[in-house]
Amino acid sequence: MIPSPDNRPEETDMELIDRWKAGDSRAATRLVGRHSQALARFAASAGEREGIEELVQDTFVRAFASLDSFRGESSLRTWLFTIERRLMLDRRRAERRSRETVPVEESDHVSEYGALDSLIAEEAQERVRRSLDALSPTQREVFTLRVQQGLSYKEIAEIVGSTEGAARVHYHNAIQTVKEFLRDE
Amino acid sequence: MNKCMERDIQEMLPDLLHRTLAADARERIEAHLATCDKCKEDLEVLRAVKAAAIFAPSIDVDRVVRQIPPYRKIVPVREIPARSRAVAWLVAASLAVVVAGGGSVLLLQQNQTNRRTAIIHDPGVQQTAAGPESVGPVVVRGGAPLQPRINTALPHAHALALVTDVEGLSDTGLRQLMNDMDRFDALPAAEPEPVISVDSGDSLDQDTR
Repeated sequence: MIPSPDNRPEETDMELIDRWKAGDSRAATRLVGRHSQALARFAASAGEREGIEELVQDTFVRAFASLDSFRGESSLRTWLFTIERRLMLDRRRAERRSRETVPVEESDHVSEYGALDSLIAEEAQERVRRSLDALSPTQREVFTLRVQQGLSYKEIAEIVGSTEGAARVHYHNAIQTVKEFLRDE
Repeated sequence: MNKCMERDIQEMLPDLLHRTLAADARERIEAHLATCDKCKEDLEVLRAVKAAAIFAPSIDVDRVVRQIPPYRKIVPVREIPARSRAVAWLVAASLAVVVAGGGSVLLLQQNQTNRRTAIIHDPGVQQTAAGPESVGPVVVRGGAPLQPRINTALPHAHALALVTDVEGLSDTGLRQLMNDMDRFDALPAAEPEPVISVDSGDSLDQDTR
């Protein structure tokens, strides 16, 4: 059990998985609610601009269909990122679309921040997004997983199918590229 | 901008943002940030990147959950363990040995029986035989007549059993045996017929020269 902010014991992912296997559908709702936004952010930062919700949905459908193969050696979120990344690669291969940046639609913006905050931050955030687009696909994955999701290098290496050392190198190269991009803008 | 050599601190900056560092590590990094412009700049960039992550669509949790199929336990295909497979092979090999060994013993026994008794077909006698029950010549051994082994299943079959122990026969029996043998057809020669080659005479010529 993980203590929640209101001091109520919060069930771990494994406990929720067990409950869902026992037939409690509310456990699935808790799990999806816990990880869906992180998956959406990862998809967005990895360059996905369209169909992120469908991507997240497909990730959960696949994950729940094969939960028996999840042994809990990594965190559930890391495992979900791995599945989502594979789906993104499949989707890119299938669509063979160009890597040009498509502006994020207004409807895609989350309502976590107020409208005024969004307006103020928009320009700076747009620059940051463009700087991320300047990275190679692997660099962007590693960088966003590290910075936006706060994953460890070990977890990132697991998701992208690389080594911890390679993940560190990608991180250093990525931050260098982003800094240079933001300086030049 | 100074060039920072604290690579491990640079790598831990995202952990500072996510507040996942232990107290001592956080203090060490904060002390370093007070003197390192490069790491300070890195941290600002990281903050901006982290903030930019909000640009993602909000997910309708209920809609996602509705698409999730109910749980079905995956029953793994039962694999025969390597040990059981080895035992199965051992049993199969043992059965093969038993069958082959048993067959060999039976064949050996049959061969020994055949060696002891040779059944020789006698067509001359067959013509005069009254029927399948006709016994034909009798080998007398030690004064007592020995019944030869006859394949009675064959009609008009007549045969003479040659007992390997000829030395045990009495004079009368031996004479009888000899008489019977005189009536046999000639047995095929064990040795091949001599081949008479037609010599052209060249080789002879060479030899005589």
